[in-house]
Amino acid sequence: MTLNGAVSTEEPSQRAASSERKTVVEVEDLTVSFGQGRGSVRAVDQVSLAVHAGDICAIVGESGCGKSTLAYALLDIVPPPGRVTGGEVRFKDRSYSKMSKQELDDLRGAQISMVFQAAMNAFNPVITVGTQVMHRLQAHREAFASPAEGRAYFEHLLNLVRLPPKRVWPAYESQLSGGMKQRVAIALALLLRPSVVVLDEPTTALDVLNQRLILEILKDLHRNLGLTIIFVTHDLAVVAELASRVAVMYAGRLVESGTVKEIFSAERRHPYVTALIGSIPTVLDSGLHISPIPGQVPNLAQLPPGCRFAPRCPLARPLCTQAEPPLLGDEHHHAVACHVVNEHLQVIEPDEGTAGR
Amino acid sequence: MSLLEVADVTHRYAGTKAAPALNQVSVSVSRGEVVAVVGESGCGKTTLGKLVAGFVRPTTGSVRFEGRDIWSLKGKDYKTWRRSVQMVHQDPYSSLNPGLTIAGTLRPALLRHRLVGRRGVQDEMLRILALVGLDATPAFLRRYPHQLSGGQRQRVAIARAMSLRPRLIVADEVTSMLDVSLRVAILDLLLSFRKGDAIDDMITYLFISHDFGVVRYFSRGGRIIVMFYGVLVEEGPTEDVISHPCHPYTYLLLEAIPVPDPDVAERRAAPASLVEQSEGQPSLTGCVFSNRCPLAQAKCHASQPPLTDVGGAHLTACFFPERIPAVTHLVEGINQR
Repeated sequence: MTLNGAVSTEEPSQRAASSERKTVVEVEDLTVSFGQGRGSVRAVDQVSLAVHAGDICAIVGESGCGKSTLAYALLDIVPPPGRVTGGEVRFKDRSYSKMSKQELDDLRGAQISMVFQAAMNAFNPVITVGTQVMHRLQAHREAFASPAEGRAYFEHLLNLVRLPPKRVWPAYESQLSGGMKQRVAIALALLLRPSVVVLDEPTTALDVLNQRLILEILKDLHRNLGLTIIFVTHDLAVVAELASRVAVMYAGRLVESGTVKEIFSAERRHPYVTALIGSIPTVLDSGLHISPIPGQVPNLAQLPPGCRFAPRCPLARPLCTQAEPPLLGDEHHHAVACHVVNEHLQVIEPDEGTAGR
Repeated sequence: MSLLEVADVTHRYAGTKAAPALNQVSVSVSRGEVVAVVGESGCGKTTLGKLVAGFVRPTTGSVRFEGRDIWSLKGKDYKTWRRSVQMVHQDPYSSLNPGLTIAGTLRPALLRHRLVGRRGVQDEMLRILALVGLDATPAFLRRYPHQLSGGQRQRVAIARAMSLRPRLIVADEVTSMLDVSLRVAILDLLLSFRKGDAIDDMITYLFISHDFGVVRYFSRGGRIIVMFYGVLVEEGPTEDVISHPCHPYTYLLLEAIPVPDPDVAERRAAPASLVEQSEGQPSLTGCVFSNRCPLAQAKCHASQPPLTDVGGAHLTACFFPERIPAVTHLVEGINQR
């Protein structure tokens, strides 16, 4: 675990330092397909992304854009019939495709772990939380010198997620509220001291106060444990509140990646991201500047030619329906996949840019 | 005369000894108004919606529609009221019968209420489909819900409600199951029925949501009602409640909302003790919010404050409304736009 660079301030002067930070998870040209032959669809299509130690990285998109599939691929747990059909994922420079099953098993949970969507509903209802923690400790005897030490560490984690260990340890899941269960699920994912945690929709289905609590807790964990956090969400407000870096997906493709300020500033931005931000009713706006995105997300089995957003795009030109735009980064590695936006872009390092930094 | 009058209603679900789902709630809605109901899960907002739509009978108190108690209506009057109040539910995946085609969903009610004859029913269904922005073709009427996307299903659910030419629609979390980019389109569709030309009369909405962003969009110029554990704690004009909350619970809700703007989010003050604020149990003797309230005094633990007017039709059930600050980062963020 590294503590340096845990706080991601994105001032230009500090950029040089931040790009020297170690890459922990790297996705290169990753394609994940479902189905066979002509009927197959690519849920994730040639996506490249680098996550650095100490990042809080958001993967954002609408349903069916491939964001959860990408998250599963980060732990090499894409559920069948989905499978990786191109590219690779590396954890600290080691490719999953070159690791044995045993090596992967040792990696998951201990180095990188996941909090699944609706994890709060995944507890066994007939045994206590404590028993479930003890089961996990027995399966990972190597992690702690003794079960008592493991229990002590879990209780420490419960304190970090602002739960009283005395109340939670002997409780059945039915005795905990939805927000509490979500926090127990986060503590459980951190039990084996991973340096990276992937969370799928961590705040969905919680009410606004519990949502705020989870956001504050994740910020705490990032600070106190030096944790690298990758989270998947459809909620741009949650992105603005928590993330330091953002990757936006549309119909299986990465369309923009950059710092949270770059994504939300209108200077240079993918038209889909502009439309998405402009379509969200927010308490900050009485509604005068809000308008829906015309059309629908394309069916992955019948993708339009060229840019996937072109049929809905206000900036679309003839070129957009002919060729798919590459993801190109500027000198700050703020990358956008759009012909129109990139028209006058001076591509400094095209290779680095497509690596999503 | 108000269109809808919920007078001092308490509702206790049968067999529960816990606090009532609605506790002495009074709401009055005028013709053509948009009233939004907000609160966390379990605060009674859906029960209030069901009560207004007549699916839940008040334990005490009364629900009046156009001045008449809805539980005393009989015969033709009952039928007219039943048609006048429609509900659109949260989840379009479970609110439509999977075994019925779109025509099968729309036709029976049209015929039952004699809005059209058998010969005209097909044309009427096509007209309604066009009204809600769906493909107005006979082929579409033969489709089943599983052949439609979430947004299309919600439009069918809205078509079903609109087909009966209602006066009041109870919209219960109608956008929460939809993708973010589709939400505004559905809200705009509902708002379009208030223009008056599409449907004979202006539609009145009781709009239930936990999302302040959606509420602000839908009920601009309207009113917000904030509920906490079955108690109506604050009520007032939408913009007023957002910029000057007068109840600590409303303040906490507004404070907690994630905002899609990193600059505004950065200015948020560090929250004090969120755990107590999100988990404290409602008080049964004092102010319902007193166990979570950071401002609670001895008085608050002793009795429930009555709903009082603080000016400008802004009501709050708090003894110390003047002590509640504005949500600074939110007000600044709003002013910047």
